[in-house]
Amino acid sequence: MKPKEIINTKLNERYFYLKHPSGLNIYVYPKKGYTSKYAVIGTDFGSINNTFKLKQDLQNIKVPDGIAHYLEHKLFANKEGDAFELFAKTGASANAYTSFEKTAYLFSCTDDFEKSLGILIDFVSSPYFTQENVDKERGIIAQEIKMYQDSPDWKLLINLLGCLYNSHPVKIDIAGSVESIGQITAETLYKCYDTFYTPNNMSLCIVGDLNVDEVLSFIDKKIKYKDNVEVTKIFPEEPANVAKKFVSESFDINSSMFSVGFKENICRNSRISTEDSVYTDIIINYLTSPCCEMYQELLNKNLINISTFSAEHLEGPGYSSVIFSGESQDPEKAYKIIIEYTSNLLKIGINKENFERVKKVVYGKSVAVFNNISSIANVLLDFSLSGKDFFGYMHILENANIEKLNARLSDIFKEDNHALSVIVPKK
Amino acid sequence: MENVIQEKLFDKINFTYVNENKFKNTLVSVSFFTPLSKENVSKNAIIPDLLVHSCKKYPRLQDVSKKLEELYGASIDSGVSKLGESQVITVSGVCLSDEYAYESKENTLNLTKLMCEMIFNPDVQNNKFKKENVEQEKRQLIESILSELNDKKSYALRKCEEFMCKNEKFGINVIGNIKLANQLNGKNIFEAYKKLLESSQIEIMVIGNAPVSKIKNEFKEKFSKIERKEIENCDVEIIPKAEDVKNFKEEMNITQCKLVMGLRSEIAYPSSDVPAMILANAMFGATPQSKLFLNVREKLSLCYYCASSYSKRKGVMFIQSGVEKEKVEDAKKEILKQLKDLKIGNFTDEDIFQTKLYISQTLKSTEDSLAGLNVWYLCLEKRISPYELIDQIQNVTREKIIEVANKISLDTVYLLCPKKEEN
Repeated sequence: MKPKEIINTKLNERYFYLKHPSGLNIYVYPKKGYTSKYAVIGTDFGSINNTFKLKQDLQNIKVPDGIAHYLEHKLFANKEGDAFELFAKTGASANAYTSFEKTAYLFSCTDDFEKSLGILIDFVSSPYFTQENVDKERGIIAQEIKMYQDSPDWKLLINLLGCLYNSHPVKIDIAGSVESIGQITAETLYKCYDTFYTPNNMSLCIVGDLNVDEVLSFIDKKIKYKDNVEVTKIFPEEPANVAKKFVSESFDINSSMFSVGFKENICRNSRISTEDSVYTDIIINYLTSPCCEMYQELLNKNLINISTFSAEHLEGPGYSSVIFSGESQDPEKAYKIIIEYTSNLLKIGINKENFERVKKVVYGKSVAVFNNISSIANVLLDFSLSGKDFFGYMHILENANIEKLNARLSDIFKEDNHALSVIVPKK
Repeated sequence: MENVIQEKLFDKINFTYVNENKFKNTLVSVSFFTPLSKENVSKNAIIPDLLVHSCKKYPRLQDVSKKLEELYGASIDSGVSKLGESQVITVSGVCLSDEYAYESKENTLNLTKLMCEMIFNPDVQNNKFKKENVEQEKRQLIESILSELNDKKSYALRKCEEFMCKNEKFGINVIGNIKLANQLNGKNIFEAYKKLLESSQIEIMVIGNAPVSKIKNEFKEKFSKIERKEIENCDVEIIPKAEDVKNFKEEMNITQCKLVMGLRSEIAYPSSDVPAMILANAMFGATPQSKLFLNVREKLSLCYYCASSYSKRKGVMFIQSGVEKEKVEDAKKEILKQLKDLKIGNFTDEDIFQTKLYISQTLKSTEDSLAGLNVWYLCLEKRISPYELIDQIQNVTREKIIEVANKISLDTVYLLCPKKEEN
């Protein structure tokens, strides 16, 4: 059981990877001089996985929306109480999160790392769902859902995804709805757990000033072997066009917010490559830089403000979108400028000087990830579950060229693949 | 901590260097401490934005940005925050440490020089900030004030602070209000800017791995040209006990109620009981093993979040929760019951032990991030390391927890709730 060492000499960073015989992907990333240690274990199962088919079954299984998130809440439960009580004994801070495409469980601590790691591995591999404890959680999750319903930022995004996607489940709220979680039972939770929480479908990432061999041999003793479940994740056919061009919702707020999304055409269940991610990051950093004419026009016309205008690349199995957001006195005008500028950019491309400068920016931002052990662990997990290469990203970035960059523009910005979501003050 | 060097550059201008070479970045920050006041709050709030978006040498935002992007995407941000009853105006820069910025030798020094251009050589004519810059930043400041309503959780907390501390500096919103923002002009902002340089307490911080003496000399040289006046006093007013409980209620089109309860205590710096209050607050509502989390959320399923926070500089405490409208009274009752339990010592030695363990691990991890270190050392009190505070908390006894808990009194209850259904 010898792990593979992966090195980035330029940044003086290294980590170790092992495909454990159980199937689990293990990453140990030693960070000298850090006091805290961090571990996160994640499964390739998120809110979008609401339909799947097991090999022995004839029919697809459809589970209620929000079940991955519900499972995340309930996995902490055990016969005696919950895993938080066990973490309390070690003093570690534990948490978990569910996103569109994955679920992750984590803790950070400074002392007694192995004890906490043992608790993490144990609780993630031993579910305890009873109808009683499942029912009890419903009130808490309903309040969490309502909290998000009151969040204009969140509604802005979910409404936009509802415009961009016709049938892909990325358009559904991660936590589901108060109605959909009403259908979740201990039985449906077990069904999902047994299907997706197999070592083969999971990655464990550990970062801190640790001895790699000791950590690996500890994990080896702890891990439970489970048969791999042959499952196909089912996604509906997603057409290239957007479902709707515009959506608006009113809230008790004082200033309008907008989100403009560009949808990329992605093959069903596949994800974009590391290389495409790199070029997308360069493009969005260029467009949100005050050196870019689009930014200047938006700002000079009082259509954005510096503190809120931003862009992100949201991608997962079967979806990839570039999204610009901010507050604006006139969202539709801002939208128009963004559309015009990006469509013109397809013709003229990004010039050499800007490209070289923005490349430095993306390099600087990427290097900053290595400052923080929780960022490293979570980025590593994300790369592992999405089949991307962590250090490979840096390598591609350093060797990025302008021809590929300008080619990438035409994947992202097309004539009819965009939509606008706005949140406006209630009158 | 042996890697922390502190030096007084001039009267009430301190320089702190935290030497840590485990990071890839270095942070340089300059913070001005001034007592919160209705008169100056908005002027001060707009200053850092004006400074970092334009200066004499780089007059337009795109000129500044271009320079920063060339320094491997370095950033220089403006900040306005509240510490105790001070308004803290910050210009802070982060860049790749020199060893990782291949083509840009002296990356940190260049960042520092750019920051100094911004702070000491702003785009000013005839003792006025330029009109077009002021108008652009004013619009954005007003938009920031307006958008405070977007996040209902933080809005509710701010309202509770405002109601509770109506007659104290603590109740002043650090970014001011729209009326004050509308009164801003190039001249009155410039006067406030001069006052900040001349009479506020200033803390300069460098965290990471940098040619520190060069950076220090850069600041020293610039500050030596400022004629310093009498320095403003940033003392905090402590109101030890609440009088009657005040209730405030607001209605909006929302689905979930935001409940915020404000409490007072006499325990604030420099009191030696602060560590005990930090522990008491953590046991009450600041960890996943706390009384509020275990009872209000886990046992009664009343909410998703219910947590308390304690200001060691002002001695006040705030409890925040998001609950169903029909369950507000249940939640309030349970929160007060848990507070009473804390006061009568209804907790085990194991609870104390575990909370101490949790806090000590959280404090130790302070030194693992630039931001954590910056927040930790940015203060006006006598500086102690996270380890010293851990020792103080470890020494807190059960009796002491009960003693400080009994000094907590409820002052204000603020409720933001959904409007009645319109039929």
